[in-house]
Amino acid sequence: MILEALEREGVEVIFGYPGGANLPIYQHLHEHPKLKHILVRHEQGAAHMADGYARACGKPGVVFATSGPGALNLVTGLCTAYMDSVPMIAITGQVNSTQVGRDAFQESDVIGATSSVTKHSYLVTHIDQLPRVIHEAFHIATTGRPGPVLIDICKDVQQANAEPVTPERLDIPGYQPNGHVNLDMARTAAHALASAERPVILAGHGVLLSHAEQELFKFAEKAAAPVGTTLLGIGAFPVNHPLSLHMTGFMGTGWNLKAVQNADVLMMVGMRVDDRVTAKLADFAPNVKTFIHVDIDGSEMGKNVRPHIELVADARNALEAMTPHVGEVDAGRGKWLAQIDAWREEHPLKYTHSNGHLQPQDVLIDMYRRCRSEAIVVADVGQNQIWAALWWNYDRPGLFINSGGAGTMGFALPAAIGAKVARPDKAVWCVAGEGGFVMTAQELSVAVEQNLDIKIVILNNFSLGMVRQFQDDFYGGVRSQVDMTVIPDFVKLADAYGLPGIRVDTLEQVGPAMDAAEKTKGPFLIDFRIDPEANVYPIVPLGKSLNDFWEAPDK
Amino acid sequence: MTQLQAGPPHPAASPGTSPHGGEVTKQARVRVLSVLVEDGSNTLSKISGLIRRRGFHVRSISVGPSPQPGRSRMTLTVDAGHAETDQVRKQLERLVEVIEIEDVTGEDVHSRELVVAKVKASQVAGLVERGAKVLNTGAEGTTVEFAGEGKDVGDFIDELMRHGVLDVARSGPVVMRRTA
Repeated sequence: MILEALEREGVEVIFGYPGGANLPIYQHLHEHPKLKHILVRHEQGAAHMADGYARACGKPGVVFATSGPGALNLVTGLCTAYMDSVPMIAITGQVNSTQVGRDAFQESDVIGATSSVTKHSYLVTHIDQLPRVIHEAFHIATTGRPGPVLIDICKDVQQANAEPVTPERLDIPGYQPNGHVNLDMARTAAHALASAERPVILAGHGVLLSHAEQELFKFAEKAAAPVGTTLLGIGAFPVNHPLSLHMTGFMGTGWNLKAVQNADVLMMVGMRVDDRVTAKLADFAPNVKTFIHVDIDGSEMGKNVRPHIELVADARNALEAMTPHVGEVDAGRGKWLAQIDAWREEHPLKYTHSNGHLQPQDVLIDMYRRCRSEAIVVADVGQNQIWAALWWNYDRPGLFINSGGAGTMGFALPAAIGAKVARPDKAVWCVAGEGGFVMTAQELSVAVEQNLDIKIVILNNFSLGMVRQFQDDFYGGVRSQVDMTVIPDFVKLADAYGLPGIRVDTLEQVGPAMDAAEKTKGPFLIDFRIDPEANVYPIVPLGKSLNDFWEAPDK
Repeated sequence: MTQLQAGPPHPAASPGTSPHGGEVTKQARVRVLSVLVEDGSNTLSKISGLIRRRGFHVRSISVGPSPQPGRSRMTLTVDAGHAETDQVRKQLERLVEVIEIEDVTGEDVHSRELVVAKVKASQVAGLVERGAKVLNTGAEGTTVEFAGEGKDVGDFIDELMRHGVLDVARSGPVVMRRTA
C-alpha cells in the first residue's frame, strides 16, 4: 500500500536501507519495477542522495530507513535539507504500534528526534491513516517553502491489509502556503528600487526554488539594478552579466560587499538574511534607507533584518508583479554602475600561484574550461565549497549544489550520486576536501554499483583547511586538531572500491588527469594534492562587518 | 500607494531594541497568544519544542478542548527572549498543527486564571468574602477556588500566604476577546 501510494505520487527513485522495522515494505518492493531502489551504505548517505536528487531535478527525494539507528542516521541529512528548504520524504519503519513506548528492540522516538529538522512529521499507527498521510506529506514537502517531511510507520501498519484507497481531497487547515502577491506592495517595491540612487538586489535559494530566474533577469535589467546572490542562490543570475555582483556574504566578492555596504535600497529575494550574509548584523548595509524583503515564509520578515517593504509571496509571482511597475530609472544609475565596475577592477578575485604548490583555483579553472554550463558541480563544505562557488562562472540555475545552511561535511559524494541519478544527461563533478570526503566515502560503492558517471575531485591539503585558516587568522595562530595526515591513499581506496583513480601533484598533471576522467565512463576519482597553505579570500574576520573584508595577499 | 512602514530597519533582533528603534520594556516582550491547534500526540511537544528552539520562554500554558472536534484551544504566555516579539506568532504559525493564532497582547480581553487552595478551616470566611468558593471541608482543612484576572489571583494568593496556606495550585490564564 505504501509503495502503491509512492507510485501514485510520481516517485521513481528511492534511496534506502532495509532493517527489522521496514521488512514488510521491502518484501513487496520487487512487485513495483517502476520504483528504482538504490541501496546505500549508510542512511546519512541516503538522505544526502535524496537531497542531491531533489536539488538537481526539483522532484522530492525519497528515503527509506528502518527504526532506531537507521532512522536516527537520517537526522543530519534531514537537517541539511531542512536548512536549505529541499523537498524530501523520509519513510521510516517503527516498531509495532503495540510496542511503542516499551523500549522495544531498535525503538527510538524518531518523531521527537526529528521534529526540529523537518517541515512536518507523522507517526502512522493505523492503516486507515496511511493514504491521507502520504498524500499530505508530498503536498507539504513540495509546496510553499519546501522541506523534508518524515513519515514514521509502525511495522504492524506496514503488514496490515487494506484495499488501496485514493486519498480524498487535501484538507490541511493549518497549512495554507501563501503564493499571493500584495500588488500595492509590489508596486511600491518596484518603484523604490527603480528610483533608488544606489540599489542592490540579493537573490537567494528561493529564487531557484520558485524558478524565478527569468523574472529576476527581466526585473533587474529593466530596473538597471545590480544583482548579487547568496551561496545557495548561485545560478539565480548569470555571473558574467554586467549587472552581476557575484556572491555576497562573509566570503563574498569585494565588489559585492562594497555595493551592499553602500546601497541605499536593498532588495532581498528568497533568502533568510542569515549571519553568513550579514556578518556583523549591526553594521550590515548601513546606508540602506529602504529594505525590501521578498520571501514565501512570513517568519523571515524581520527575523534578522526588519524590512520597510515586505512581500510574503512566491519569488516568481512577486518579481513578475513588480516588473511592469519599474517605471523610470533614477538618473544617477549610470554613476552607481560605474562605481561598481570600479570596485570590480579594484577588488578582483585573486590567488597566489607561484609558490611551487598546486593551487585549488587552478584545478577548478581547468574544470570550468572543460565543462562550462554542461556540468553540475556538487561541493562539500569548507574551503573547497567556497572555491567551487567563486571560481566557476555559473550562468544558469541548477549547476551548483552544496549544503549552505547546515554546512554538512560529507554531503558532496552522496549528493553528487543523487544528482547524477536525477540528471543522467548532465556531467556531475563532486568537489570535496579530504576531511569531508572520508566522512561518507563508503558511498563510493553506490557509485560503482550503479555505474554512475561521477568525477570525484578531492582537493587534498591534508588538513581541515577552513578550520586551519580560521585558527591561523582569528584564533591566535594556534593550530589545533586540524591535521589530516593519516588518511587513506585515495587512489588505493578507489581501487579497493572498484573505481579508477589518479593522483595529481603538479599543475602539469592536471590536464591529463582531467582528460582521463572525462574519457572514463563511470565513476573516477582524482586526488589533487593542493597547497596546504591555500586560503579562501575574500573573507570577513569573524565578528567584523562586511566593510572589513580581507583580500588575498598579493604574494 | 501603500504607506512604508516606519522605523529604522536593523538589526531586527537586537535585544532591548524595538522594531521601531526604541527601548522595549520587559513587559512588552511577553506575548499572550490564543492558539487553535489540531489535536495530536505531537502537537504539544512541537509547540513547546519550537518555543525552546527559537530562544523564547513559556511563562504559562493552558490547553483545553475547543467546541470543534479534534481541535484544542491553547492560551500561551511567551517571552520572546532575544527575538523580535512578533517572531513568536510567526514561528508558531508555520507549524502545520497550528490552525489559527491570534496575538491578544494588550488587547481588550477577558483573562481568567484559576487557583485552588487548601486552607485551615478558620481562615475561610475572609476568603469567601473576597469571592472564593468553598469546594469541600474536612478534617485536614478546607479547599477553596478562586478565579479572576492574573492580578486578582496574585493578590488572593498573597492573602492566602499571610494566613498559612496548606497547598495551592494555580493555572495560567485563558483569554477571550470582550464582546463589543
